[in-house]
Amino acid sequence: MEGGYGNRGSSFSQSRRGRGRGRGQRFPSNQSKVSSFAERGTPSSSSANRASASVISNTLEDDAQPSSNFVGTCPYMCPERERIQREKLRDLAIFERLHGNPGKSSPALAVKKFCRTISTKYVQASDMRPITVLEDTLNYLLSLLESKEHLFEVVHDFVFDRTRSIRQDITMQNIVNKKAIYMYEGMVKFHVVSHYKLWCSMSDPNTASLHHLNMEQLTKTLASLFNLYEANQNSNHVHENEAEFHSLYVLLHLGSYSQPMGEPLSLWFQRVSTPVLKSKEMCFARRILRSFRLGNYKDFFCTAAAQASYLQFCIMMPYINEVRVLALSCINFGGYKLHPYPLLDLSKLLFIKESDLESFCNHCGLETGTDESGNKLLPTKQTTFSHPKGGFQRYSFLGLQEYER
Amino acid sequence: MAYMSMGEAHRRITEYLNRFSDAISCQDGATFKSLFALSSNSPFLLSLGDALNLFQDANRLIKQSDNHSQFTDILVPLFRSLQNYRQNNLLEAYNAFEKTANAFIQEFRNWESAWAMEALYVIVYDIRVLAEKADKELVSNGKSPEKLKGAGSVLMKVFGTLAGKGSKRVGALYVTCQLFKIYFKLGTVHLCRSVIRSIETARIFDFEEFPKRDKVTYMYYTGRLEVFNENFPAADYKLSYALKHCNPQSEANIRMILKHLIPVKLSIGILPKNSLLEKYNLLEYSKIVQALRRGDLRLLRCALQDHEDRFLRSGVYLVLEKLELQVYQRLVKKIYIIQKQRDPSRAHQVKLEVIVKALKWLVIDMDVDEVECIVAILIYKNLMKGYFAHKSKVVVLSKQDPFPKLNGKPVNS
Repeated sequence: MEGGYGNRGSSFSQSRRGRGRGRGQRFPSNQSKVSSFAERGTPSSSSANRASASVISNTLEDDAQPSSNFVGTCPYMCPERERIQREKLRDLAIFERLHGNPGKSSPALAVKKFCRTISTKYVQASDMRPITVLEDTLNYLLSLLESKEHLFEVVHDFVFDRTRSIRQDITMQNIVNKKAIYMYEGMVKFHVVSHYKLWCSMSDPNTASLHHLNMEQLTKTLASLFNLYEANQNSNHVHENEAEFHSLYVLLHLGSYSQPMGEPLSLWFQRVSTPVLKSKEMCFARRILRSFRLGNYKDFFCTAAAQASYLQFCIMMPYINEVRVLALSCINFGGYKLHPYPLLDLSKLLFIKESDLESFCNHCGLETGTDESGNKLLPTKQTTFSHPKGGFQRYSFLGLQEYER
Repeated sequence: MAYMSMGEAHRRITEYLNRFSDAISCQDGATFKSLFALSSNSPFLLSLGDALNLFQDANRLIKQSDNHSQFTDILVPLFRSLQNYRQNNLLEAYNAFEKTANAFIQEFRNWESAWAMEALYVIVYDIRVLAEKADKELVSNGKSPEKLKGAGSVLMKVFGTLAGKGSKRVGALYVTCQLFKIYFKLGTVHLCRSVIRSIETARIFDFEEFPKRDKVTYMYYTGRLEVFNENFPAADYKLSYALKHCNPQSEANIRMILKHLIPVKLSIGILPKNSLLEKYNLLEYSKIVQALRRGDLRLLRCALQDHEDRFLRSGVYLVLEKLELQVYQRLVKKIYIIQKQRDPSRAHQVKLEVIVKALKWLVIDMDVDEVECIVAILIYKNLMKGYFAHKSKVVVLSKQDPFPKLNGKPVNS
């Protein structure tokens, strides 16, 4: 087996620019604490952390049947048997083809597929990858996300399936140690970033369905991660990234009455530990949620711009436009008819470019005008306002523009 | 543990078996139910557990007599459950009790009348309690807690058994309430939906036929579900029903209902008297009520922060946070009232800067843009009537009823 996977760069988070904003203000760094997965040291696995019943099994793939003391022995990213079979069937993803040959792969390219019908009765140790091989595999997969060669949707599709297989192998072997936590954090991160990138292409129906499936796996994987935190719990110790991942769960509830994991947020809060609840990341998420629920668009945008990490941004971005629509509703409804609202003022309020704002208003059924000096205006009390049906074109959020790429 | 002879153990087991058979042949529901109540920790059952652990061959006693042997499927796992419960092996106790419950359901179906309903109640209650204990044991051993979920599946089966034309159907609401307790604990409250649909729409069920105690519990839990959905009128109706019909002697239950009903009432603009809060020791709501009366945003924030843990654990924190809009409404109204006293002809024009200053006095730093935002929201949600002028930074209030009362209706969403 070829070496060199262990520390391949797989970072797909992005640092904020260090220097000040256009208004001359400096905000504290919003660099995500979730650093590149590959940069993390390998914690020693302890047998005390291994449980004979999987903490993941009740929230992950129902068809995966955990069994006691099962340890995989497959040294490759893909079991040899599977690779050979898929070569014969010419069932190789584009990333698995040796020199582009659809019928030829190699141990350095082939990655085990997710299997829908797997059961412990037939599985062999040589079909399962042990934790160190799974780590290498995950690093390899996440490194593909840096690829410029293919459409994101194509890379996503492959990584989506293969990370699902990694989770399957983890579940089958009942791995619940800190290594599993780091791996799950990496996979949640993949789904979170995908959530944003796929949302940017939502006008394409195929991408819309990818987005939906991605949300499904995002919530499942996040739930499994929470179970792993709990299984590795020490009193008053919070895992380095635990707070941020919990904050993502809160932000997923920004949609109206959405319960992405089937559980009301009020009930979920009952089970969150106090150190996590009081953390900076959770205080941010809870403040954003409060502003959203109250309709306080001013605080929502300012707080997001000042404090959101990259991952939090990825979850929130779909709701930025929702809040903008709300702001327009309120201003249109309550504004003074004889004094149209200057578009420049409004664009600052909504953290959107003035030209984008004009398009945005038109999309909401609102006409814009111009005064004698050439300033663009939004007349209020327009009866043609309507919530846009087909979603939005992509508009930048000026507060966190550097996260968009 | 008191010393017990083999002879004494034999006698106790035999006595239990005879009680079991006699209860069935005489259809003695009261006696029968006591035979399954593991979690009651009755001396009778605990000593039976000791006897079973000593004797080690109780299955032979079961099979010896025709009276007992026809109930082997119930008795064998029940004895194993009692043994393990006594030895504090809660996981095994639960596993065995689940088998007992399944066997009991089979038998219960064959009994035409509802004479064994009380025993069924006890089994339903105990399977939930044992599942909770078993899950605690699992967690302490680093394993996934999954028994409560399994108990939920058993109870769904029980519910199906009761949902028929016969007299047994009055027991369905009790089972429903135990299912609610399970789903609330697991966080899977969306599973309540199908059971609620059965209770509320199936023709075989008449809500008034159910026992009063169960109706109160049902209304309490479904009221809480409506709170999660922020359907406050329905929540008010259900929780008020529970309050009105619950045992007036049970202060703990009244308090539990009020803990959820008060935030609901606040959300529809109804404030409780302080005497009520004092009577039921709900003083954590005092400052919130004060904040609403005064329009004091800082007081609201302080009250939420002071009792954050309590409000989060009871599940009402998010509802209370939303009261902020009513507090803003009250604040602007107070400014309006003060202006009206000074200069009635100009009272209906409130400068945004005045609101900024009022908030600053409350140690809330908010710029004029955000105040405009708040005002726009209040107008949009009909908490305030009028319009705001961005250019002149003024809100112009309607001359008629500028601050409509909620009068039992929630704020527009």
